[in-house]
Amino acid sequence: MGFVEFQNVSFSYNEGYEAQTRALENVSFSVEEGEFVALVGHNGSGKSTVAKLMNALLLPSAGRVIVDGMDTSDKKSLFEIRKRVGVVFQNPDNQMIATIIEDDVAFGPENIGLKSDEIRKRVDWALEAVGMSEHKKGTPFRLSGGQKQRIAIAGVLAVKPRVLVLDESTAMLDPSGREEVMSVVERLNREEKMTVVMITHFMDEALKADRMIVLSDGKVLMNGGRELFERTDEIKRAGLDLPVAGYVADKLRKSGVPLPSPITDENELVEALCRLKFKN
Amino acid sequence: MRDVSFGQYYPVSSPIHRLDPRTKLLSVIIYMVALFFVSRFTGFGIMALFLFIAVIVSRVPIGKVLRSVRAVLFLLIFTMLITFLFTKGEPDKLIWEFGILHLYWDGLFMSLKLCIRLILLVLGPALLTLTTTPIELTDGLESLLKPLSLIKIPVHELAIIMSIALRLIPTLMEETDKIINAQKARCADFDSGNIFKRAKAMLPVLIPLFVSSFRRADDLADAMDSRCYKGAKGRTRMRVLKFRFRDFLFLFIMAALFTVILFLRYNWLNWQFIAVLW
Repeated sequence: MGFVEFQNVSFSYNEGYEAQTRALENVSFSVEEGEFVALVGHNGSGKSTVAKLMNALLLPSAGRVIVDGMDTSDKKSLFEIRKRVGVVFQNPDNQMIATIIEDDVAFGPENIGLKSDEIRKRVDWALEAVGMSEHKKGTPFRLSGGQKQRIAIAGVLAVKPRVLVLDESTAMLDPSGREEVMSVVERLNREEKMTVVMITHFMDEALKADRMIVLSDGKVLMNGGRELFERTDEIKRAGLDLPVAGYVADKLRKSGVPLPSPITDENELVEALCRLKFKN
Repeated sequence: MRDVSFGQYYPVSSPIHRLDPRTKLLSVIIYMVALFFVSRFTGFGIMALFLFIAVIVSRVPIGKVLRSVRAVLFLLIFTMLITFLFTKGEPDKLIWEFGILHLYWDGLFMSLKLCIRLILLVLGPALLTLTTTPIELTDGLESLLKPLSLIKIPVHELAIIMSIALRLIPTLMEETDKIINAQKARCADFDSGNIFKRAKAMLPVLIPLFVSSFRRADDLADAMDSRCYKGAKGRTRMRVLKFRFRDFLFLFIMAALFTVILFLRYNWLNWQFIAVLW
């Protein structure tokens, strides 16, 4: 059994009203500890709903969400679940509580009632982990989007969750900000053994994950490793773009160039093309 | 941006800056109450001297402190003139009279005192906000008002509302700018017409601003929940306020000042030298 387990989860907004809209339908998947999972889907596929279901911001209409053996619909374990699953949202500006960076990062540990020196230790550690230590006395307003989002990540990290969920946390950032955040997340997964669930619609980011779950219209369409990138037509049908290299390879293949599959990033493509040339 | 969320905080390091915010809040209260007990020029002199020393110690330029008087300048001149012109004193001290207007020496002194009192009343809190960040002030207030939570006043909630408000001011200002620019790009006119026309022109700015504020509030609530927020219960602070020796020393000085002012006013021991003071 995984650390986070979705068991036949369905969810509707405005349950019981006329405006009821189904966001998830019979979704099941699990996330193991230490894994880096990418959850991809186009707009309206229900991926943000998944993020909110993971730490009991929303409760499933049907089915169960289990975190570390606890059911999210059990009110008693609410804070234990939130301590284990930290969610970083899309807009960094809407996640800051305090005017000073270190105060903001301290918000989480303050809520779980740690002692002052322990909080300070965690704040320093969290800011170090996202590479923002030198700004700790400053204010977030002057920072770039990427820097602000790194601080939001630090704010979640300071609670020391076991799972870090990023709900489209790079969507509002420019390319360099996205890279900043991605490299922080990758390092956390590798070095701190943090379980990461990355919700995104950028396929380039999904490539960095160990596993990819594709959501489409509230259902799990695919769930697996890199081999999924071979299924180019299905990915396109889910409303997603292939990574540029994959897209180029796909076009080449279709026009008769015998390329191996899957090709997901530029290096693989370059290598495959060079080999091809060498063979001829 | 910085100006708003930091208030008028003047960032230098000084003994006054380092005082516990609660000490400073209490001191300002004592100082303001004391001012109302002052009735003679000597008393005002002592208060002004005290404030002057505090300003010097705080290393905030005097000009910066004095600038805060500008905000009440109109009120100052107005009340001064009114008291001066309408106060009746002893008949033999009349300077000038015209209909219901009269100038007496007593009126002159009274309006002078009123003026000094008003200025000193403004300068004290100004020094407080110049040497204390709004966050420190919020923390201090929360801690000082904590006993009120016993009678079910939500002190912690009020404090967190205040700090979130401080945090959101620059963000909302930025947002307002963006909306105004977006409206201007579609030929909205904010700069011409009379005041009513201009107020009406602001309506298309305020509505989106409202809508987005609610959306922000929703997001912020989710983010706070995700970071285990559950109100004041079981919450600790990273920055623990602590009274140190310097705080006790400062409060002692304030108590001494207050006592001196009370003696000047009531002269309980009937000291001769106090009686003859101006």
